[in-house]
Amino acid sequence: MSPGPASAIDFDEGEGLDWPDSRIRGEAMVTTADDKFDAVIVGSGAGGSMAAYMLTKAGARVLMLEAGRDYNPDEAPMLNLAKDAPLRGAGTPDKPFGYYDATIDGGWTIPDEPYSAAEGSEFIWWRTRMLGGRTNHWARNSFRMGPYDFKPYTRDGLGVDWPISYDDLSPWYDKTEKLIGVYGTNTGLENHPSSGPGVLLDPPKFRAPELFVKAGGDALGIPVVPARRAVLTRDMDKRQQCYWASPCGRGCSIGAAFQTTTSLIPWAKETGKLTIQTGAMVYEVLLDKSGKASGVRYVDKASGAHREAQGRVVVLAASTGETARILLNTKPNGRSEGLANSSGQVGRNLMDTVGSGFSAYFPSLEGRPIYNEDGAGGLHAYIPFWQYKEIAAGKIKTPRGYHMEIGGGFGEPGIGSFGGFDGYGAGLRGEVKKRYGARFGFTQRGEMIPNANCYAEIDGEQKDKFGIPTLKFHWKWSEHEYAQVEHFQNAVKELVDRLGGTLLNEVKPPAEAISTGGEIIHEVGTCRMGASAKESVTNSLNRTWDVDNLYLTDGSVFASKAHKNPTITILALSMRASDHIATRLRTGEL
Amino acid sequence: MPHALIQKVPSPETLEDASLTIDRRTTLRWLAAAMAAAAPLAACGETKSGFVWAVPQPITGKGYGKDPSLMDPIVPWPLTLTKAELAACAALCDLILPADGDAPAATAVGVPAFINEWISAPYPDQQADRALIIPGLAWLDAEAKSRSGGVFAKIGEASQKAIADDIAYKGKVKPGMEKAGDFFARMRSLTMGAYYSTQEGWQVIGYPGNTPGSGPYPGPTPEAIEHIKGVIEKMGLTYAQP
Repeated sequence: MSPGPASAIDFDEGEGLDWPDSRIRGEAMVTTADDKFDAVIVGSGAGGSMAAYMLTKAGARVLMLEAGRDYNPDEAPMLNLAKDAPLRGAGTPDKPFGYYDATIDGGWTIPDEPYSAAEGSEFIWWRTRMLGGRTNHWARNSFRMGPYDFKPYTRDGLGVDWPISYDDLSPWYDKTEKLIGVYGTNTGLENHPSSGPGVLLDPPKFRAPELFVKAGGDALGIPVVPARRAVLTRDMDKRQQCYWASPCGRGCSIGAAFQTTTSLIPWAKETGKLTIQTGAMVYEVLLDKSGKASGVRYVDKASGAHREAQGRVVVLAASTGETARILLNTKPNGRSEGLANSSGQVGRNLMDTVGSGFSAYFPSLEGRPIYNEDGAGGLHAYIPFWQYKEIAAGKIKTPRGYHMEIGGGFGEPGIGSFGGFDGYGAGLRGEVKKRYGARFGFTQRGEMIPNANCYAEIDGEQKDKFGIPTLKFHWKWSEHEYAQVEHFQNAVKELVDRLGGTLLNEVKPPAEAISTGGEIIHEVGTCRMGASAKESVTNSLNRTWDVDNLYLTDGSVFASKAHKNPTITILALSMRASDHIATRLRTGEL
Repeated sequence: MPHALIQKVPSPETLEDASLTIDRRTTLRWLAAAMAAAAPLAACGETKSGFVWAVPQPITGKGYGKDPSLMDPIVPWPLTLTKAELAACAALCDLILPADGDAPAATAVGVPAFINEWISAPYPDQQADRALIIPGLAWLDAEAKSRSGGVFAKIGEASQKAIADDIAYKGKVKPGMEKAGDFFARMRSLTMGAYYSTQEGWQVIGYPGNTPGSGPYPGPTPEAIEHIKGVIEKMGLTYAQP
């Protein structure tokens, strides 16, 4: 299906938009009090907040629309006790990552805001409805994509290349890391680029089990190196360094673990140029007669009224799923393919990280001397992919790499920590003491190659409580991902074996061991950037090919999904695109 | 729900034994005290001894929702164990984790009250446990009556252990008692989780964390470094800092 070039679309100021529309409900359309902003940004997560920060710093008047409620990081229960939470804080369908997880009004489901999966597909979608979005609870793992990751097609003929190279983004990675604060070291390893001088913060010391795994890795040629995380190991302005307690997923009110609600958003507010509207569920982009974006329409959740917000430039950063949904639900002249979709690629190329994992038990770690292993609340060490040369030489089956996130030790005992015991009484107490700190986990986080079976589209039969048509996901892993899981399984077996440990989970066939689509919450790619308007949705500066003043600054623009966790790249791309937008605003081009 | 129903540190009215009502909480509140457990719905199997593993009435109330107060948590669902069930539960919890030197018993840190909260919750995992634990507690009493002529809580430690020994060990569960074995394993896991997630439990296991520090992360103590270095070298590997 080729809908033809955007210029062929006959725009007539929103007339003829078939859906969704307040007129259906007979409600009056209300325009926001502020007549017109320089920029309207949809979404307050990583991509939207970076855009808001950059544009307000450049002097632009910005309106940020967030579908969820306002959130004050002081709500984070940083030092609260599990015993003071219902069910000892165990995860439930209401709070899947536990009672104290920072996620508000979200999780795998949101009441009356459904999504669906096509028959034969399984896909799950983690959403939030809160200021700052998923940055309030993410793992803060911040691994740069490398030179290979931007040109995967060139390397192996699979997927597509990005229209930019690592060198294009490298300075923006530096600026982003310096701004938000990232700990780590420059390892000099292949395709794991170094940050500029003085950019990284000192990483925290390895914990004892990490030193143990490093010794095993050293013997096998598997690198175990300091991780990179957006957690402060020294004070930065008003943000305090990590105090080596509190799980980061609860949110970090002291500002140590990066989230937009303690950084980019308050910094943008300080300029006096940022207006934030929460409870604003955006459902379509407004267009003027010339085909340019003039703003967005949204449901004001408090009143139920449909409103319009207007700006010289529109930036969508609503998340990979929601950004595609807004574009597909925007129908200039009722055209079924949606907005900015002359390539037919909106919603396509959906990717997530390849995930699987093992827990292992190491008898030699029994009875270790106890000390505080909470540390920075996440990875101090990790295993970056180490076999690019073997891939290039055709020696291993998986075409793309993965990294291992590793962790365990003297963690906080929880309601789910005590499976696999036997007996009762004094003998049981003795076993608990013996085993504490002897368990360690290995998690695969790998690259997925985009395939034609993985995409999102509008579900023609379902709408949410606002009347907005919802997404339907299609999903199927390919043999490439299965081969990668098998590689990971073999590597973990070898490593655990060398360290005298035993796997606590059975080694399942890759198709069973692999994560469900969406489960790793790294979904990207539904509006990929590319070198030509025929094959991609945006150009190399995140600008949609079809609409000159419409930008996408979330994970939707990813052309590939490297094994590196996406947030740091979303931030760097958004910073780069926003710098470009600011220039265009300043010169009057927009 | 009317605010008047909220009780600070409630004592389920049906309980008399203080050890069952000691409340571990300072901030967590239950919205309603114990109510009589509903009648079993249906039998789902009968053992040789004639005991019926009846399916308890499921919980249909609301959970705490998707935006509960994280600083002032409330348990909104009613607690549903009967006095008799709580007594059996407490006896079993203390058999699993009895007092031991400085380590308190499970009941002393409120584990039975937690089990009550858990199996009364309107969520799928907890409902599955409810379907195992409520009949399991009845099984304990039935077994105790048939062996020793009294309910489980009253037959004394030696008789309690005789029952537990038949169901507490993997691969050694007495034939015909498999379901009771599953029940025991689940109770053990929940009891341990509830116990070791209290500050008293932290002390027992040795968890020193969730305590703010300052300066750079200190890393392993010199003693811990010496130890791990020894472990590494004993395996023929080389100790090295990154």
